[in-house]
Amino acid sequence: MEYLVQQVLNALSIGGNYALLALGLAIVFSVIGLVNFAYGEVIAVAGYVMFAVFMVSGIEYAVLLMPVGVLAAIGISVALERVAFRPVRYAPAATGLLTAFGVSIVIRNFFVTLVATRSKAVPTPQWLGYQIDIGIARIQVIQILETSVTALALLLLVFILRRTNIGLAMRAAARDFDMVRMVGINANKVIAAAFAVSGFLAGLAAIFIIARRGVVDPFMGFTPVLKAFVAAVLGGFGSLPGAVVGGFLLGALEVFFQIVLPSSIAGYRDAFVFVLVSVILVWRPQGLVGTKRQFGDKDE
Amino acid sequence: MTAMLRSFKGAALTALLPVAIALLVIALGDGAQVRILSVFLINLILVIGLQIFMGNSNIVNLGHITFMGIAGYAAAILTIPVNIKQTIIPHAPFGLATFQLGPIEAGIAAIVLAMLVALLVGVVITRESGISATILTLALLVIIHTVLANWVDLTRGMRALYGVPMKANAWVLLAAAVLAIFVGRWFRDSPAGVQLRASGESRIAAESSGVDVRRLRLVAWVLGSGVVGLGGVLYVYLLGSVSPKSFYFDTTLLTLAMLILGGMHSISGAVVGVIVVTAGFEVMRYFETSPVIFGVKLPEFLGLTGFFLGLIIVLSMAIRPKGLVGTDEIDETWERRRQAKSAQASASPAEHSRA
Repeated sequence: MEYLVQQVLNALSIGGNYALLALGLAIVFSVIGLVNFAYGEVIAVAGYVMFAVFMVSGIEYAVLLMPVGVLAAIGISVALERVAFRPVRYAPAATGLLTAFGVSIVIRNFFVTLVATRSKAVPTPQWLGYQIDIGIARIQVIQILETSVTALALLLLVFILRRTNIGLAMRAAARDFDMVRMVGINANKVIAAAFAVSGFLAGLAAIFIIARRGVVDPFMGFTPVLKAFVAAVLGGFGSLPGAVVGGFLLGALEVFFQIVLPSSIAGYRDAFVFVLVSVILVWRPQGLVGTKRQFGDKDE
Repeated sequence: MTAMLRSFKGAALTALLPVAIALLVIALGDGAQVRILSVFLINLILVIGLQIFMGNSNIVNLGHITFMGIAGYAAAILTIPVNIKQTIIPHAPFGLATFQLGPIEAGIAAIVLAMLVALLVGVVITRESGISATILTLALLVIIHTVLANWVDLTRGMRALYGVPMKANAWVLLAAAVLAIFVGRWFRDSPAGVQLRASGESRIAAESSGVDVRRLRLVAWVLGSGVVGLGGVLYVYLLGSVSPKSFYFDTTLLTLAMLILGGMHSISGAVVGVIVVTAGFEVMRYFETSPVIFGVKLPEFLGLTGFFLGLIIVLSMAIRPKGLVGTDEIDETWERRRQAKSAQASASPAEHSRA
């Protein structure tokens, strides 16, 4: 029982992280149809800015570094839209994809050139690793935080999307961007807002990723974002609830295979996860939450 | 017949630049330069293999390197001498450690295997369109990589397999690259290729004109995988050893960048993309290793190569989103310009007389 509760919490915290990132990818995709493969570098930038502030100021108190990381992620996300993605806004999807690849290569190698390929330590609060006994299970503080912060971020996002004008505009843009512009809403503002929200989510995810690893390196964002991408498609790419469902489902699948696979074939975990993901996609190409598209619907 | 002749002429024209570069390097270059040429030719084969499916069907493919891996490993395991296999993979399944084949038989078997696997997974992948098809190709890459990296009895896991006879020299690679250019161009201009490209532009219009989109996608997928498989076999014959990390995201993204940079809808685009990226890489590599320019020794900048590759990609996507070459083959564009010019020439006297 205790073991089970622990694994469920594991799945929730891993899934929560995927859900944050999947949501960040989905919100940008739903508004401008860009598959943002440079998203991992937003995480890396957040990490390196935290590292730089730590080196310059010598702030040991890691909690103060966290808002810095989130702000850096929002800043770089909006800046990338302005500099790199705006020129290819109306180009075919493959163009945007490659631009994102290019941006990610540039940022990654920027860190390789100026800092180092090796990883750099960033202070993380000791108490994140503490274990709390809640009777039926011992859980880490970071797991509680990860799950609850994800939940809070989702609530905040729902509030923004449902109760603010810019949120309404973003939801409308996901349906039909041309119509949004025709009624006189500034396209640049909507897109910048989408990238800001996306950066905010990456910043949150980055804090947890760094808290677990304790170090930053130029390639740290790649795997989480790859997983988040899969999660987002699993839920239905472009669908925001779908991204959350996909994120938690992928986290659950990973923990599940971690438990059930005997150690002799444990190395095949990713293969099992991806086979199952493929089966789900063949069964429901539109994703678990996405609505079925007919030929002639608005192209993605 | 004239159409086929035209596409062969076009292919020959497209092959001209790589052939000229290759002959020049083989005649004048040193060992290191021939090595760069060899990698260039292998990338050319891989990128054309990628173009055959992705460029014609308009589906972004992240799984092509899977078939490089399958064919490469198959060729390696079949050709490594038995005595070496008894030391490095003694427990290989299917009695693979007990015999060996010549490089040609092994290469053909490896490509056939890659195409068979492509046929099996292609039946599933070609059902889907757009982003979910792309994710399926990505899943394929991860799955096969995981298998290659974990099936220790067969592949030695993450450690390299060595002892493959190094049979691929620059001439063999050049011949294979030219073959790939002709195959790619022939498919693009064939009725199947034209119909598939139509479906890439508008699936509804193509299907309502009676195009069997799924079957054509499958044909392109299997053919492209075969060409990529050829690249994998030659890669292994060039290096003499093989490890799973060669067949993962680095190679996938590099070849993808080459293709989209040049222009994914044409073979000329594939060729131009590979040439530009390779040339850019070599120039940057020179700067990376602290060169001396005008007597000033510049500091060493690791990562500069990647930095500029990324920058080139971002800039060219902003300026020429359809790739350097554009949608049509180079010879098609030239032909159209020539016709336009001659039409103008014949039209202008008439205008003069009217005036």
